[in-house]
Amino acid sequence: MDDLQAALFLSLQAILSGILVGGVYGVLSIGLSLAFGVMRIVNFAHGELVMYGMYAGVIASKSFGIDPLFILPVSFVVMALIGSAQYQLVFKHFVGHATLQQLLAAIGCALVLQMIAQIIFGADTRTATSFFSGQYVIFGPFFLSMPQIVAFVVAVAATFLVELLLRTTTWGKAVRAVADDMETAKLVGVNASFINIGAFALSAGLAGLAGSVLVTYFPTYPSVGFSLMPIIIIATTIGGLGSIGGTFLGGICCGIIQQVTAMLWNSALQDVPLYVLLMLFIAFRPTGFFGLRSE
Amino acid sequence: MEAALPESARRGVAKPSSEAEARRRRAFIYGLVAFLLVASLPFLPVNNYIIAAVVRALIFISLGQAWNVVAGIGGLLSLGHGVFLGIGCYTTGILFNMYGVPPWVGVWGGVVLSLLVALVMGSMTLRMRGVFFALATVAASLAMVQISRHFVDLTGGADGLALKFFGNSWWAAQSRTPAPFLYASLAFVTLYYWITRWILNSKLGLEMQAVRDDEVAAAAAGVAVFRTKMLGLLVSAAMTALAASLYMQFYMAIDPEAAFGLSQAIQLQLPALIGGLGTAWGPIIGGAVMIFLSEVTNWGGTKIGVSGVDILVYGLMLLVVVLYAPKGIVGSVLRNAMKGADR
Repeated sequence: MDDLQAALFLSLQAILSGILVGGVYGVLSIGLSLAFGVMRIVNFAHGELVMYGMYAGVIASKSFGIDPLFILPVSFVVMALIGSAQYQLVFKHFVGHATLQQLLAAIGCALVLQMIAQIIFGADTRTATSFFSGQYVIFGPFFLSMPQIVAFVVAVAATFLVELLLRTTTWGKAVRAVADDMETAKLVGVNASFINIGAFALSAGLAGLAGSVLVTYFPTYPSVGFSLMPIIIIATTIGGLGSIGGTFLGGICCGIIQQVTAMLWNSALQDVPLYVLLMLFIAFRPTGFFGLRSE
Repeated sequence: MEAALPESARRGVAKPSSEAEARRRRAFIYGLVAFLLVASLPFLPVNNYIIAAVVRALIFISLGQAWNVVAGIGGLLSLGHGVFLGIGCYTTGILFNMYGVPPWVGVWGGVVLSLLVALVMGSMTLRMRGVFFALATVAASLAMVQISRHFVDLTGGADGLALKFFGNSWWAAQSRTPAPFLYASLAFVTLYYWITRWILNSKLGLEMQAVRDDEVAAAAAGVAVFRTKMLGLLVSAAMTALAASLYMQFYMAIDPEAAFGLSQAIQLQLPALIGGLGTAWGPIIGGAVMIFLSEVTNWGGTKIGVSGVDILVYGLMLLVVVLYAPKGIVGSVLRNAMKGADR
């Protein structure tokens, strides 16, 4: 009986921390999902944009003594600008078709961004400190990390704001119109190229914001983007490429599965069930739970 | 009318003109000269560093040629060919270190295992289209990174696996000097060139190109699409695992990132992408360019004290090729020189 209770307690603890971690996975992924939904672009360099957001947090905390959470707007704006540049230079040519060339171009971008970061910041692992670093909350019998709770709250707020932006504003309506059918949207007077660059900037800005949140409890290094990318892709595929809310839920699913695996089986193999899940989803339900039904 | 046909349909129909015949002969002579030049390197006054760099180029040409079969001829962007490279390296290495099986035999274990994994991977992913197939292969190789890190007793974990060194030994396929590897890798490149040529002109190759150019039309014309893709993947997996033995014997060590990591997967693709997808000459020219540039930039990088410049150059090469020369060097720069010749 004690064994059963202990197992139950451990699973509940894993699920709770999974939800917290998963929320951040969600906000890491919604940018990718948005870019795919609107332009059918799979930005394999999304993880690198997150990485720059993380370094922004490190610089703020180590060089200026500012809490990474205060620079979220700055990372958002800076990464949105870098994202627009990336769109103008590379992805403009691939709008509308998720082709293999597009994927290769994105991988090229990822490598370039990664190595620029290595040249600027060095190859070492860096960390940032925030107000909440190292603090814990005891919630009944459970033990929750304060930075993760804060990051989760920010993630929920950011996702909610993006949904609000897309659902209520005129700009959001135009974005959704382009996502549904670019040609028809153009016919009724939507400036599609303007919408595209805006949507891509939003996607990149979200990546930067997510990075600055993540860095409060996760260290950064130049290739951290490649380490995060699998989770981002899995969260997006499970939730459904193109659906913001779905992707956020996909992130939470990933977090729970990962934490439960780590707690009950083996933390070194915590991502393997996720890869299996990705394969199953791609084989049997490539649109995920809420994804676009196309191609 | 003719221009509307995909390239795969036109090939073999057009009669080679005498001019094309001359170009074909010239390409053959250039190839022969390059072959003899590389083969005579150990007798020329060049140091072992240069020879080792040439061996690296030849190994990546072989691996790139293997990837070219599935991606260039078959149009399937596999980002997971590290899986087959890694399986080939680890199987050869583990069989040698733990059971004393010489690599000459061990490599076939790697080939068989790769074929089995390709069968499983293929049956799950080959019905997917384009990007989803690519993402699934990424997932497969990243899962392998974690798995190979986990089974420390077998694979040496994150530190990797180093072959026991026996000095100059035929039995262990090891050598203190790079010259024997030069001949082995040159043999691989030549063999793989002819295999690619043969596939391009075989029924399988024509069917693969038809599926690549238009899957629906190929199916309507009676091509068994799934079976064709699967055969292409199996051939490519076996070629990769076979060349992996060469990689393992030359580098003497393998670790999870070098085997299954994304950067390695990208290095396997660059020769074909730079040189020209779906051509037998592409990976050869592209692999030579890739290793040359990475050697030069690494040398320059150490001069100014910055590491990783080669990866930066890989990324830039990838961008330049995809954006400005999607047909690679053979398809754009050498287009006129090689018109009508066997590419």
